Amino acid sequence: MLSQAPTLADFGHDTWWVIIIKVLAAFVFGVVMTLLGVWFERRMIGWMQVRPGPNRAGPFGLLQTLADGLKMAFKEDLRPRGSDRLVFLIAPCISAVCALTALAVIPFGPIVSIFGERTPLQVTDVPVAVLVLLAVSALSVYGVVLGGWASGSPYPLLGGLRASAQMISYEVTMGLAVVTVFMLAGSMSTSEIVAAQASNPELSIGGATLAVPGWYVLLLLPTFVIFAISAVGETNRLPFDLPEAESELVAGFMTEYSSLKFALFMLSEYIHMVVASAVITTLFLAGWRAPWPVSVWDGANQGWWPLLWFMGKVVLVMFVFVWLRATLPRLRYDQFMRLGWKVLIPLALGWVLVLGGTRVAQVSDLSRSEQLWLGGAVAAVLLLAVLFWPARRQPSRPSPAEQVAARPPGSFPLPPLDLQVPPSPQARRAVAAKRTAASGRSEAEPAVKRPLEGRAGTDPEGGEQDG
Amino acid sequence: MSVLLAQGVEVTAGEAWTFWLLAPIAVIGALGMVLARNAVHSALWLVLTMLALGVFYVVQSAPFLGLVQVVVYTGAIMMLFLFVLMLVGRDAADSLIETLRGQRAAAVLVGGGLAALLATGTYRWLEGTPAAGLAEANAEHGGNTEGLANLLFSRWVLGFELTGALLIVAALGALMLTHIVREPGERLSQPEQMRARFAPGNYPAPKPGPGVFATSSSNTTPAKLPDGTASPRSISPILPIRELTAAEAADKETER
Amino acid sequence: MELSAYVPIIGLFGLAVGFAVVSLVAARIAGPRRANRAKLEPYECGIEPTPQPVGGGRVPVRFYLTAMMFIIFDIEVVFLIPWAVAFDQLALGGFLAVTLFIVAVTIAYVYEWRRGGLEWD
Repeated sequence: MLSQAPTLADFGHDTWWVIIIKVLAAFVFGVVMTLLGVWFERRMIGWMQVRPGPNRAGPFGLLQTLADGLKMAFKEDLRPRGSDRLVFLIAPCISAVCALTALAVIPFGPIVSIFGERTPLQVTDVPVAVLVLLAVSALSVYGVVLGGWASGSPYPLLGGLRASAQMISYEVTMGLAVVTVFMLAGSMSTSEIVAAQASNPELSIGGATLAVPGWYVLLLLPTFVIFAISAVGETNRLPFDLPEAESELVAGFMTEYSSLKFALFMLSEYIHMVVASAVITTLFLAGWRAPWPVSVWDGANQGWWPLLWFMGKVVLVMFVFVWLRATLPRLRYDQFMRLGWKVLIPLALGWVLVLGGTRVAQVSDLSRSEQLWLGGAVAAVLLLAVLFWPARRQPSRPSPAEQVAARPPGSFPLPPLDLQVPPSPQARRAVAAKRTAASGRSEAEPAVKRPLEGRAGTDPEGGEQDG
Repeated sequence: MSVLLAQGVEVTAGEAWTFWLLAPIAVIGALGMVLARNAVHSALWLVLTMLALGVFYVVQSAPFLGLVQVVVYTGAIMMLFLFVLMLVGRDAADSLIETLRGQRAAAVLVGGGLAALLATGTYRWLEGTPAAGLAEANAEHGGNTEGLANLLFSRWVLGFELTGALLIVAALGALMLTHIVREPGERLSQPEQMRARFAPGNYPAPKPGPGVFATSSSNTTPAKLPDGTASPRSISPILPIRELTAAEAADKETER
Repeated sequence: MELSAYVPIIGLFGLAVGFAVVSLVAARIAGPRRANRAKLEPYECGIEPTPQPVGGGRVPVRFYLTAMMFIIFDIEVVFLIPWAVAFDQLALGGFLAVTLFIVAVTIAYVYEWRRGGLEWD
């Protein structure tokens, strides 16, 4: 076989010009994906909101982001008075550099031949590749918190703090989630995690053996869900875009930034999204490996074809990101932190233990009874945890009538509480107009009068019309 | 360095280059941390040193440790430092007034002496020791991380469990130092706030906005009531009522 | 193999730094410079900036607690990672050790939860 899945030993042997080509390609990938990603997002949201979206610059508006980026270069570069000169300058650089560096360990494809050199379609891979991704995402928090601090202005400071607290919270969840991936793959190198998803483990259900696809999205569904949610939180995207909640903080930590410094923040945000999609693809969707109907074809996982499958999966995940943004409203900050600390972390921890226990029982040559004992012990621990879980006591709520009766005299006037929805004045006006047309009465009088009656909720006809 | 390691594993050119390139950066970071006036700048210099150390670990065939150095020290612990520094306030620069006479000279002397002592001690201790390198140890279990895991969960398992106990202490300490225990019912829930808002005697409508007048546009300028008096309700209780200073009210040259 | 595999990461890092520096310089060259006092003031939706309380922007102590919890869990993750990678070699002993460790951290976590340290308002 000419092309095959790379292993760790295949990395680090490239000649210098291959390294340069690959590094440049990864960089261009990041920048171009940002340009296209912004366009894609705006078009998609436009489509979901039944409007065209950007469609003027270039075919289908493809060059819109490029035009925006160029425009930004010709904008005035302002630095507010109270800001910290140096930190204000390096904060956007940290963001952009961290985002771009993460692309170095993303596997784009198997071993291919570039001008006669056989090399894996991946900038590089190291035994701790996923840890590199975690480290880079830990460092990118600095760009945000320093950008907020250095501006010397209240909105950015609040935005930066919120952002950093949010990102560190979801980093924990992310780290706990990937632990289960390492457990199954037995490696932290991205290319080997992709390779580990190539095998089809056999599942025996009641005697019948079934080969299931080895994609971790199936084998590790809870991990996938936890990781995907925390990836959205980590990239500060809706519904978790609290750091730049427009209605509360103007633009969060970016408020004081203008010109290309702002563009660098924008760039890093979209590269983060691309990287998050690529990481989800690599860890859970088998990276560049062909999906099922295509994988029947022998050549699907060879040569340059896998790049296509990889891009397809990345775009699919990015579409979900955009879809989430178009669908979900923003969370309140306390709700968001509660989701991270009180829901996702216990879930992730429990799942690590459950999976570890199951795997230990499978791997070790324990007898049947010992396995049962072990399972029983785990079940007992879980039961105890559930029993002693800090429960929220539900106070008994008085009925609305009781609440109204308990109000002190002189309280604010209340609308009727009988839960009768008054009919809309418009509909009633239309009915009234029809009636006056039929009976030949003057039309002004009932049109004014009826809505008032309806609001009081005393009109007997209102009930009939509702029913 | 090369003399020191001559008998053992060869130091590759890449390793030597990385060392001579990053060692000055690490030292500059450490010096910058001590010398920077602004506390946040100090923290950033320290981050630089930590990053350089992380790269050193990677170069010395301990990639897991190197990356953990970046994730835990720069990612988590320095972030805690930054939060604490922001807690104190962003203008908390060091005062340059010496409270103890001759303190600075003494500090330089003692610090330099300690550094010299440590350096000579380490040199004398390691003199002639052949460097074994990690290649053999890493190969034993199929990788650096695997080897570390095998050691951690066999020989050092007690220390590992004690780390868990240490983490409990850390959490307890942080909570004890910072947490304000709220009695149940002390903080009003949203329905309770809403009820209080509509209770008799309270004014439920939105408060008047702060004043935007021809002479000022500041949220510390109170709104005027119909009789011409200032409405105290229109400004936030933490902001003092004030008129704009002459400098603030001066022309901002926006017409240039 | 070991070290040469890390070189491209440094390469991409350097390229990214270069890109960031070039864009900062480009913005300085290409952009106009017509700053006035109004533009250089901190942005507060168009009103006169509010004077900051003495000591500058202060931060709720809650963030400190969050960062502390983050360190604790980060260290936990760092210990779990080698265990997960060498999972098949460690088998039952490793699993029991990790279970004990997770229980220890969970004690701290539950305590924090019960005391209300995870509440945000």
